Amino acid sequence: MIQLFHVTKEYPGDGPALQEVSLEIDKGEFVFLTGASGAGKSTLLKLIFCDEPASAGQLLLFGKNVAKISGSAIPFVRRNIGVVFQDFKLLANRTVAENVALPLEVRGLAQKEIRRKVRGLLRSVGLEHRADKFPPSLSGGEQQRVAVARALAPDPALLLADEPTGNLDPERTLEVMDLLYGANARGTTVVVATHDRSLLERYKKRVVVLQAGRLLSDGDSVRRAVS
Amino acid sequence: MALRPFRAARRALESMARGPYVALVGAATVFVAVFATGLFAGALGGAERLLESWAGEVRVSVYLAPGADLERARAAAAALAPGRRVEAVPSEVALSRLADSLGEQAHVLEGVGPGALPDAVEIDAPGLSLEGARELAARLRSVPGADDVDYGTAWLEGLERLVARARTAAFFLFGALALATAILVSNTLRLAVFARREEIEIMKLVGATDAFVATPFLIEGLLQGLLGAGAAVIALVGVHGLLVPRLAAAVSAARALTLADTLPPALVLALVGGGAGIGLLGSALSVARALRRT
Repeated sequence: MIQLFHVTKEYPGDGPALQEVSLEIDKGEFVFLTGASGAGKSTLLKLIFCDEPASAGQLLLFGKNVAKISGSAIPFVRRNIGVVFQDFKLLANRTVAENVALPLEVRGLAQKEIRRKVRGLLRSVGLEHRADKFPPSLSGGEQQRVAVARALAPDPALLLADEPTGNLDPERTLEVMDLLYGANARGTTVVVATHDRSLLERYKKRVVVLQAGRLLSDGDSVRRAVS
Repeated sequence: MALRPFRAARRALESMARGPYVALVGAATVFVAVFATGLFAGALGGAERLLESWAGEVRVSVYLAPGADLERARAAAAALAPGRRVEAVPSEVALSRLADSLGEQAHVLEGVGPGALPDAVEIDAPGLSLEGARELAARLRSVPGADDVDYGTAWLEGLERLVARARTAAFFLFGALALATAILVSNTLRLAVFARREEIEIMKLVGATDAFVATPFLIEGLLQGLLGAGAAVIALVGVHGLLVPRLAAAVSAARALTLADTLPPALVLALVGGGAGIGLLGSALSVARALRRT
């Protein structure tokens, strides 16, 4: 599903954020991307999300070379990808239901279908009773669950989460991780960028470790990764 | 994906309802621009109508020196103004007409003798332009015994000069005004777009195309333009209602001025269309800039 061949990303006036990273993530996998702050986790997610182009190397997404995807086609690629951000990125002046409905509206679904899906999604994240509230009135955990519901709304083939539990207490962290885990169990490929070791130990999934923009290790061994 | 204009219009109306202040600022900017343009165009149209109505009642008077032969002067004037109605007005007839025009105030003429006003020859030349009247007056100066020739009033000449200059300036003025307005509206709407940059960013993150993001903004710009231009047209109707009666009290020719002279339907259409167009253009420029940055 995702293939990186010697991918490098450099920002003008700055050192390389990623250097010669080669990586392959298959359909249906659950992958933790970990490393210290500045290791390149978020940059890697941005490249996969077509938010930024790679400076060198090749990135294949759903079998297509990202560098060859035209600007006008990027929105259609993104419709196969759900993204969860550490800062939630919810619209403060839209209700919870309207936030979750946004990707479905973008896809042009009928209002009736959107309402039905949103109700189901909010039920699955335990926020059906908060549908008409505005995000600022919700707790951090609730907001992140709304963000997860929005990311899952269009049934994406790929779910990217950038430090999705960074602002949450341990209990809310597990709630959000369980939602991502559940999505993976239903067939969605999930890539989670985190520096939370407890998550790596708890979920025992494939761990890709980045350090100063380079791929340090890649495998199932959590102990090796966290060490 | 189809653009679904009704859904985009609904989203535009929802955003305007959420941020009415920003929408009002945009509409107010268009209002000022359309009002200023309409005021200028309306004043120009009114002035042209005044000149036309004056042309409908052109009368050139040749005042004769004492002792001049009135009949000879009439014949000469008729020869110089072929096809026009030429009338010899002896001094006593002129005095009688003056008394009639004064009505109840005619008593002020008590004691004025029959020779107080000069004999005159009057030439009616309806439909003649001010320039034509000037040329005819110049010819009539050669009438035997002519002392003075009067063909209009000084303020009309001033008005004609002003209208002629305004006509020349109109093209540049409208161009400059349209450009300034587009920039002003674009900047105002840019603030509106800037206030919602996060919304644009999030929409793009969830896979919205540029068209999906831009359409509600364009509809908002269009609606703000229509709103501002509509309000400006209503204000211009109000200005007409306030000013024309006062102008008519000072200048009799202004009584003929109607709303269709100062604010003809074509001008109303142009103002509303222009306002809507400026709103649309300003919005398009702002949203295009915002989309390039996200």
